[in-house]
Amino acid sequence: MKAGLGWALLLLVAPAAGRAQEYLVRLDSRVQSVSYRGVQKDSLLASQVVTGPSGGPETPDGYAASCTGLTYCYFFRAGPILHGGPFMTSADLTAWGFGVHGLSLHANARVGADLSSADVWPGTEPAVQLVEGYGEYAAERFTARLGRQIERGRLGYYGYDGGRLAYRFPKQGLTAIGYVGLGLARGSALPVTSDVLNPLDDFQPTSRQLLAGGAVEWQSRAVDARLDYEREVDRDTRNFVSERMALSATIRPLTGWSLTGGADYDIAWGWWGNADLTLRHSQTRFGGAVGIRRYRPYFDLWSLWGVFSPAPYSAVNGSLWVSPVRGLTLRGGGERYWYSDAEAETPLLNEETEGWRWNAGAGYSISSAVSVDGGYQAEFGPGAASQGVDGSLSVRPTNAMTLTAQAGHLVRPLEYRVEDPALTWYGLSIDLQATERLRLGVGATRYDEDRKRPDASSINWSQTRVSATLSWLFGSSADRLPLPPAVRREGRR
Amino acid sequence: MRLPSIPLAAGLVILLGAFGSVVLHQDRDTFDHEKHRKVFPECQGCHAGITETGRAVYPSPESCATCHDGSVEKKVDWSPPPARPSNFRFTHAEHARESGEKLPADSALACPACHIPSGATWLTVRRTISAQCLDCHGVQTAHLSAPDTACGTCHFPLAEATALPEERVAQFEKPPSHDDTAFLSSKGHGEQANRSTLSCSICHARDFCVGCHVNAPEVKAIQALAVDSRSLAIKTELKAPASHQESRFLSQHGGKAKKDSGSCAYCHTQESCMACHRAPPNVVLLLPASGPGRGIGARIERGRPASHSADFVDKHGPLAGSSPGTCSACHERAECLECHRPNAGAAGNYHPAGFLTRHPATAFNREAECAECHNQAAFCVTCHQQAGLVSPGNLQKGYHDASGVFLLNHGTAARQNIETCVACHSERDCLACHSAQSGRRFNPHGPGFDAERMKRKNPQTCAACHGNAIP
Repeated sequence: MKAGLGWALLLLVAPAAGRAQEYLVRLDSRVQSVSYRGVQKDSLLASQVVTGPSGGPETPDGYAASCTGLTYCYFFRAGPILHGGPFMTSADLTAWGFGVHGLSLHANARVGADLSSADVWPGTEPAVQLVEGYGEYAAERFTARLGRQIERGRLGYYGYDGGRLAYRFPKQGLTAIGYVGLGLARGSALPVTSDVLNPLDDFQPTSRQLLAGGAVEWQSRAVDARLDYEREVDRDTRNFVSERMALSATIRPLTGWSLTGGADYDIAWGWWGNADLTLRHSQTRFGGAVGIRRYRPYFDLWSLWGVFSPAPYSAVNGSLWVSPVRGLTLRGGGERYWYSDAEAETPLLNEETEGWRWNAGAGYSISSAVSVDGGYQAEFGPGAASQGVDGSLSVRPTNAMTLTAQAGHLVRPLEYRVEDPALTWYGLSIDLQATERLRLGVGATRYDEDRKRPDASSINWSQTRVSATLSWLFGSSADRLPLPPAVRREGRR
Repeated sequence: MRLPSIPLAAGLVILLGAFGSVVLHQDRDTFDHEKHRKVFPECQGCHAGITETGRAVYPSPESCATCHDGSVEKKVDWSPPPARPSNFRFTHAEHARESGEKLPADSALACPACHIPSGATWLTVRRTISAQCLDCHGVQTAHLSAPDTACGTCHFPLAEATALPEERVAQFEKPPSHDDTAFLSSKGHGEQANRSTLSCSICHARDFCVGCHVNAPEVKAIQALAVDSRSLAIKTELKAPASHQESRFLSQHGGKAKKDSGSCAYCHTQESCMACHRAPPNVVLLLPASGPGRGIGARIERGRPASHSADFVDKHGPLAGSSPGTCSACHERAECLECHRPNAGAAGNYHPAGFLTRHPATAFNREAECAECHNQAAFCVTCHQQAGLVSPGNLQKGYHDASGVFLLNHGTAARQNIETCVACHSERDCLACHSAQSGRRFNPHGPGFDAERMKRKNPQTCAACHGNAIP
């Protein structure tokens, strides 16, 4: 039953797609060889601990122990090295040309498996997941969708199995949207009732929530705005799972300038969620943004996490990029933030309430075939910090091939744990556009980690990760390919 | 440094000289008429066949040798030029006959009327002097500025001038009207062609038009032209209209296309729109798809909008939230899903290499909302469980050993970063102390908690800690 509806949608889509006159399919596959290592909790009798060099309790073999009771002390030793071989394939299908103008089918499905015997890689259960699978009918005034789909807006990305109707008023630039269906879990293609989403046997609803929402979009020459409302209701108890609304807008007063902002209000919890306001300016040679924002995590009402009153933080931020000469781009940015009073301070420790992060970097295209990029980033907040440098060199010996060498170094004190790990990595990847529609890639990265800790439980998980990727695009209208990529390929987080 | 420039300059001079001589040679007759002006008092002596059918147009080399015999005059090596193909509708014999019939006897045209510039001395012979042709025919303009109806008087359409080689077509001079900025617009050459394609057809054929016009099958004026691949010898390139250079054109072209898609269809196929628009608006469907008989049209190279600067990947959320329709013009949903439902098959693009090692600090400090893309239970907890990081069910001190009193001060950490707690702890870990029914019964509710609202919206959640005794 849990996956039945998804499979039913897929089975509905597949034969219909086969009858389409036009279709476009993209397949992405990736296989990796990875390993990771964690900790293993252990205990010993309190009478067995010894006093370590630092004066604290330790196990006889050198692990720092924590003795809270009279009988046992607890400690964490290095866990086993876990080897994984995740293999992931995603397929994205668009089909049209059924003889009805405006009718199309869309499907996005993932297949995942861990090829290693250890089966340690997360997210491979269930092996096949339907992210989206819907039919769409688009006319001049309206667009209707039916099936598994994802609604996106300021409230986030919400998946559901149901229907959606968007009606446009072209003269006014207005679009009214309404949708209803059975919701999926947040950040997942699975219903919230799935066992996979409850590894710790937490509280979990017994049936899928009914999700309904609406939005009004207004687009004009200088202003875009959208008002969202969404609610989720437990079908068994009729209790609310969530009820929120949001307003967001972008104003473009002058060429190159934009002011974007918005906020969401959690009607169910009765507090403001995230909000932001950013003034952005972009020119050919330079650009920048300044903004303020507020962040507060969101939790469904069926979980208890919200009752602990998550404290929001407010932040000011800015970023700037300049291209002083052709091919060279300098960039930098930073943010400073302040948590609101959590009202949980104790006399033993002062609350840390401030944090900051900043980054700077440069990219230079030496020629059309060679480019370098490097950067520094640092962040420090209550409980966690990191700083590091990274760089890459990309060489394109032919139009079809790109070689990228990258390296970096990072130090990151762990949060609330005595460890000061430093990591150095370096790797090489090769990307080959074998044909217009086939892209291949292989890569290998060596990670050398040094976890500084004064006892025996410092973990070393140095390893070499190897990966291979394949992207295959085919379809009846593939002549318009290849398209230049629309998504940014080099991440900067 | 100066020495090498001398041979270079000399080479250039020689090259230019050779080129110039070739050009001049093409424009001038190989026979020096002017040098013979005192020998030949009339044209018919040598060119009797020009108007008399059956006789040679040019004299024979032997007739030259009557003087150029090596004693009277030096010998010469001259031979009649080969027949020169042209697109002239005109023949000398026919022209002489017709002019003789139409004009008074005493005004019969003689050769100098067309071949000797007005006012020049005898035997200053040139090839056809078009200005003088036009003058006789009552056209008071320069040759290439002649009205549309005049071209056909002297010239065949290109497709009918079958003997004219491609090289000669490539040398056709461009009329000055074609340099007008408005000429390329539909109101320029389009209107002219719609009135009459006769003048167009003198130099052009359908193949030439199809090079640019993607709507060629729908344009009657183009279809009226014959097919002739020699027309491609005249090179042209599609230039963006001036309107496309306006700074706001990119943002406004959608509205313009809706108002007048026909204008777009002159140069753009559906495919040129699809270079950027991955979810094509309906107006795109009004444009022709590329195919036989159509030009490839304007080729669009998708550029990154100015707003998509280096940090845009981190800041696009609010923008996309307020105007998702703008994003969908270039991006398809699957691209969003690569990050928002992390697609390991597409090798994640959002996080940089080595992010796994950095994620604790980034997740803890919450620059972004991890749960937006990662389901915490399926993604974070499952992995942490493999790594032995999740709480095994009964809370025991030990892991958070950086602070000897972490348990006492965990409240601040929890309220500031409860999403991070959730990655390792279950709700039951907290209820060990924070339940109203058992344990230490510490009140977990902090600033902003609205108990009444909670009870109204979802009393079941209250019951988890309070049982039936919800306050």
